[in-house]
Amino acid sequence: MRKYLWVRQILGQIFLIIIGLYVIVPIWGMLRLAFDGSLLSRPTEFRFFPKVFSLEPLFSVLDRPYQSVHFTTLLKNSLVVSLGAALLALVLGASLAYAFARFRFPGRKPGLFILLLTAVIPPIAFATPLYIVLSILQIRTSLLGLTIVYAVFAIPFCIWNMRAAFQSVPRELEEAAFLDGAGYLSTFRYVTLPLALPSIAIAALISFLMAYSEFAIGWLFVDKAQTVTLSMAIYAMVQSGNAQPWSILGSLVVIMSIPVILVFVIFQRTLLERMLFGALDS
Amino acid sequence: MKKFRILGFLFAVILVMVVAGATRWKAVTTLNIDYDEDDYLRAAQQYTAIIRSGELSGFLETNYRPEHPPFAKIILGLSLLSDPEKPLTPDHPTSAEPNQYLARDLLRTDRVTNAIFGIITAGLLALVNPLAGLLLAVHAWTIKYVSQIMLEAVPAFASLLCVFSYVLWKKKEQNRVNGWLVMSAIFLGITAASKYLYGVVGIAILIDWWIDAAKAGEWKKALRNILIWGLLGVVIFFLLNPYLWPDPIGRLKESILYHSAYAQGASEVENAQFPVWQQFIWLSTSPRMWQADAFYFSVDPIIAILAAMGLVTTWQKHRVYALWLIIALFFLLIWPTKWPQYLVTLSVPLCLSASEGLNTILIAPIRAWILQLMGRKNTIIVRQKSEFRKALPWLIPGFISFAVFTLVPLFYQLGVSMTDFNSVSIKDGLNGGIWREVWGGITGQIEVALQNFPYRSKEVHYLGLSNFKPVFDYLSQQQVLFNNILWTVVSVALQTLLGLATALVLWQRGVKLKRAWQSLFILPWAIPEMIGALMWVNVFAPEIGWLSLAAQKYGPAMPFSFLLGWENSPSMWLVILLISGVWYGFPFMMLSASAGLKMMPKESFDAAQIDGANALQTFRYITWPLLYPLLIPAIIIRGIFAFNQFYLFQAFRIGTGTLATLSYNFFNPSGFFINGQFAVSAVINIITVVILIGFVILFNRWSKADQGVTYA
Repeated sequence: MRKYLWVRQILGQIFLIIIGLYVIVPIWGMLRLAFDGSLLSRPTEFRFFPKVFSLEPLFSVLDRPYQSVHFTTLLKNSLVVSLGAALLALVLGASLAYAFARFRFPGRKPGLFILLLTAVIPPIAFATPLYIVLSILQIRTSLLGLTIVYAVFAIPFCIWNMRAAFQSVPRELEEAAFLDGAGYLSTFRYVTLPLALPSIAIAALISFLMAYSEFAIGWLFVDKAQTVTLSMAIYAMVQSGNAQPWSILGSLVVIMSIPVILVFVIFQRTLLERMLFGALDS
Repeated sequence: MKKFRILGFLFAVILVMVVAGATRWKAVTTLNIDYDEDDYLRAAQQYTAIIRSGELSGFLETNYRPEHPPFAKIILGLSLLSDPEKPLTPDHPTSAEPNQYLARDLLRTDRVTNAIFGIITAGLLALVNPLAGLLLAVHAWTIKYVSQIMLEAVPAFASLLCVFSYVLWKKKEQNRVNGWLVMSAIFLGITAASKYLYGVVGIAILIDWWIDAAKAGEWKKALRNILIWGLLGVVIFFLLNPYLWPDPIGRLKESILYHSAYAQGASEVENAQFPVWQQFIWLSTSPRMWQADAFYFSVDPIIAILAAMGLVTTWQKHRVYALWLIIALFFLLIWPTKWPQYLVTLSVPLCLSASEGLNTILIAPIRAWILQLMGRKNTIIVRQKSEFRKALPWLIPGFISFAVFTLVPLFYQLGVSMTDFNSVSIKDGLNGGIWREVWGGITGQIEVALQNFPYRSKEVHYLGLSNFKPVFDYLSQQQVLFNNILWTVVSVALQTLLGLATALVLWQRGVKLKRAWQSLFILPWAIPEMIGALMWVNVFAPEIGWLSLAAQKYGPAMPFSFLLGWENSPSMWLVILLISGVWYGFPFMMLSASAGLKMMPKESFDAAQIDGANALQTFRYITWPLLYPLLIPAIIIRGIFAFNQFYLFQAFRIGTGTLATLSYNFFNPSGFFINGQFAVSAVINIITVVILIGFVILFNRWSKADQGVTYA
């Protein structure tokens, strides 16, 4: 029996090692580029490890401009757009989320259906009409326009998540506050909102990440280098091919991804639940 | 009440036959002459001549195109008796172009004969399920091949009747031989004597029989009945196949050998170069692409999608039909020749399954909703009213912002989809041209314009729904819809398998380094999709990718070198994309499965261990039944993601990978494609939304997400 267990352990570990290699290969391929100080353009020979290990590309990203735009500007644009989108989605979605979480009203079920549907529609299906509408409003190529676009992508999903957040606040607490003479708005402000805040923060986080890592659709809403975000700069670098060392590209990828990866690793269980639209609740 | 129902039923059946008659009549009168029609007309004429001359021994030696048994040809010959005699249609090889000089009156007679069988088939199916009959009546592939001089109509009819009688026998007297069983056997014989491939119904019936016998444990009686049924079927087949009488074994062998030789050697088969899954492509298209005027309309792809959705219900309600569909599909997959007429072998169960699918996703919810409306108690209305007033202050601002930011763009898109708006006409469009045209078009002030795709006009025009046609044509030419669905199914299946396997291994007791492995495995999920896609491009890119660099260094004998050169072969493209897509998606499935596994009661596993269950049994009887209700919502969500997958295809520069990618590239005014087609992109988005509605309905059924667990 003991021997049998050992066999199982070894077989299991072999399986895990194979999967682990599968997971790690492409990541390693990118890391190798990021830390190779010898690259002048695209890589020309196969290596497992960087030829010259160096942190220089990582730092050079920080002061090397992309089309005369500095890293700080790129980061600033990314943050402005993503934070703006997340905040906008929260503010615009909160009241509908609360209504869906707390009240029974005619049309509630079809409403939830539409909400769920809009949450899974691919961003491009929103981007095309927004392109036209924002062009008419003449804010298509401003940071504000981009913020609105990303907010629209996030709103349905955000409403769905905040609804879950409000639902998790016990109704009795609200009723108690109500009996003590608090109005609707103050009950919401002082009882429900603080209790739901951690979950709402997750909703905001997801909206933020969506905007932070988006590049292709945002590309339609940019016409000058000044409003380019970090992830767009990466894509542009890929498009431009061999003009600069690929180590720069690798470094930019690393810098951009690390915060996202950290967030996912820390909040994995919660994020998973949110992405399943509450299917694990029951 | 009962009389009423029967009357309604009869009315439905007649309606179905009228619709079937109309669609088939149009096809009979307008379809161009197709390949093979001359061959079968010639065969029919030979039989007519034999009957007219009275020398019936001619039947023994006559079977033009002997690869197919003669019965359906004899029927066609019989129906020509009333027509004047015409010179025999000349003998052409199967690969010759369609013979356009057939005797028109004979052609009409035989087409009508076939069409009548087609109409009766639809009516018969309407007896099983009126909706299914209606779908069969409008299924364009079926219409085409039962309205031409093909050998499909007779066996399609006979095979349905065979199953139909079998089901009636099963309902009435399981254990005795009665008229229905005899009838089933007779029509099995007729089916096989008309065209071999249709014999798959026999296999479906056998399996159904076997399942029943296994459940009831009455092997002996079942075996006796099967033997009687099967033998009778063979006898009938032999009787109706006079060509076999002089030399049964030899001639049977001859026709079967012909098929394998034909599949491997015939030039038309080789030239067609269809992939293994070609029949699925046929299912997702329609013969309207060849001749639009022969069909009023075509909903074939929708029927196929509905059939996939209804398969489970069909299995529960009409198992033998579900078996028929599955087995026929399997046969068509492995059958080396891929002509679209073979679809007729399964169009009957396909339409039945589609009607069940339609019932599940549309009719049943609507009916439930109406019943709910009718049966609603007054007290509840009072309660709802009071809550409605409470909800109003939250609803109004919420709804306004949701409408402005989410619904308005979608409706605007609907408007754009009815025009030819593009990057050339952007100035007109932005200055109110879209509004002008759509409003004018809907109110009938502006006529539908004719514009050629891709649109490059300087002013916006109203196209109405006619815009959908060129887009659908494009989608079926490029097989985008088909590829999109293939991608969704295959990639999600692989992700689920890998995710489930990983979760199960990690879940075993005493696995070392559990947490470390798990943290490593969620990395692909945590990395933004676009970055992950770029990483894989960095591995696979031709010449500059890691793999190519490795091949330059170590030569062609290194591991994984078979992946080199993938850019030249469509199926290798799929492999490369699957490697990348599964990498990105499996951690999500692993996490979902792990979360589900954690929720399971430990006691059942202990009990199973005490009872001496092995690992496989534990999985089969405990883990899986508990896990799959939790896993299916995750699978559907992954399915939605895969269906909408965009960045992966964009990174690999495949503009037609999914609907989302296609929409983006059509839209992008500076893209690498037919660019700036705003209206076309809008149409594609609308198609996407419609398909996603199906996904969301499925998701709701499985997760009850819309019920709001804790609100009351």
